[in-house]
Amino acid sequence: MRLRTWAYFIAEAFKSIFRNGWMSLASVGVVIITLFLLGSFMLLNYNIAFLSSDIKSQIEVVAFLDEGVNRSQVDQLYLKITGFEEVEEAVFVSREDALQRLRAQMGEQGYLLEGYEDQGNNPLRDSFEVRTFVPEEVPELAGKIKQLSGVSRVDYGSEVLDRLFTVTRILNWVGVAFMIALGISATFLIANTIKLTVFTRRQEIMIMKMVGASDWFIRWPFVIEGLVLGLLGSLVPVAGLYFGYQYLVEWVNFNIPFLALMPTAEVFQFLLQTLFILGIGLGILGSSFSLRKFLKV
Amino acid sequence: MIEFISVTKRYPNGAEALKNTNLCIEKGEFVFLVGSSGAGKTTILKLLYRELLPTRGTIKVLGRDVVKLKKREIPFFRRNMGLVFQDFRLLADRNVYENVAFALRVIETPTREIEKRVMESLELVGLKGKVKSKPSELSGGEQQRISLARAIVNQPAIILADEPTGNLDPDTSIDIVNLLRVVNLRGTTVIMATHDQEIVDRLRKRVIEVEDGEIVRDQLKGGYRHEA
Repeated sequence: MRLRTWAYFIAEAFKSIFRNGWMSLASVGVVIITLFLLGSFMLLNYNIAFLSSDIKSQIEVVAFLDEGVNRSQVDQLYLKITGFEEVEEAVFVSREDALQRLRAQMGEQGYLLEGYEDQGNNPLRDSFEVRTFVPEEVPELAGKIKQLSGVSRVDYGSEVLDRLFTVTRILNWVGVAFMIALGISATFLIANTIKLTVFTRRQEIMIMKMVGASDWFIRWPFVIEGLVLGLLGSLVPVAGLYFGYQYLVEWVNFNIPFLALMPTAEVFQFLLQTLFILGIGLGILGSSFSLRKFLKV
Repeated sequence: MIEFISVTKRYPNGAEALKNTNLCIEKGEFVFLVGSSGAGKTTILKLLYRELLPTRGTIKVLGRDVVKLKKREIPFFRRNMGLVFQDFRLLADRNVYENVAFALRVIETPTREIEKRVMESLELVGLKGKVKSKPSELSGGEQQRISLARAIVNQPAIILADEPTGNLDPDTSIDIVNLLRVVNLRGTTVIMATHDQEIVDRLRKRVIEVEDGEIVRDQLKGGYRHEA
């Protein structure tokens, strides 16, 4: 198609946007609200995932060894444990180290442990602290380690872990369902709004069909109109969420320092494109839906 | 150039608008389609510009089988005909010039060409002086003349007019029909569906009378009513 024709399409699209000013404003409003909700929810979801991965990464298996294992048995166990493919790293903590650590944790009350330092008196066991690549593999790995000879007990905070996995799984599903529902309702609302725009121009479309304009010639200005409305509608939530989130991150860093939110730049790398593409996509989809009926002349 | 071979059109509600109709119209003819409302005149026109498909039969226009036209070919097929309706169908928010130019713009005619042709058409219908007026500022007759200018601006082979004088007073009606005659004299085939007895009787052109979906009369130099 010629360049002049495209100029005509774009001019027609903008003329129509201004001619039906209120309708256009309504469409943009719907896109703004939808993308704002969607964007906020995505931010929430990202941060839940981010925080839970932070928590998950701290989970490890602790394997306590039988009393009186000797050095070579420990070395063998180390080789066996690091031999499991799930294992990222395993650290040997001797009973002396463990006692030292406990003492440090107890601080001023550390004197209570005096007298336990002697070889025969130390009540603690040698142990391995094992970290996996994927937190979800912890329960299974714990079972395998428990089978090894020389291991007396395995600890991995199983209940906390199971509950955490359940919660994040539910949150993810709720999130997906919520986003699908929002997306559908947004498309429907935009399609309806643009249908009204098309309806006010039905005479024009009818005449175009009458004088032999091709379907695409009729469609393009509306598609461009939808695209522009979607783009305008995504600008506001993108800017709003960006600055709002930046402010939130600063506030949280200052007031709740131990809560680590995802850094703004990292989140928006993906969110920015997603919202723009969704906005434009919704606009185009909406206008195409509403045009189909009117083109059957 | 226009041929209906055993054409039947049945609407989804079961009504038969056209029954096994045969019809032939040559290039350059001026034809009146007459008959009472609902007799099938508009159906014939709609079949000709492929707004409707026949239930059975073959329709040939300008050497093409209308029934076999692909969907994307329809717009290009329609560029061969100019359509005029009783209700003018003008765009209220655009001036006279833009209304006529619209027909050329949407088929991607070069801009220079558009201006030349629009002015020629407007001159023919005698509205060259009103290019800047909006349709609402014009009389019914003037509006129908713009609509006619739009129909001919693309220099179509056929003009289809569905009751073009239905909303106009007798004098204005004659103006419009005279313009159609001028267009016809330049070689364009004109098919006009009408109820206007006075005009049909005055012009003495070919008259095709439709009654209940059947052609009951096809007469050269005929009048509105059957004359023995």
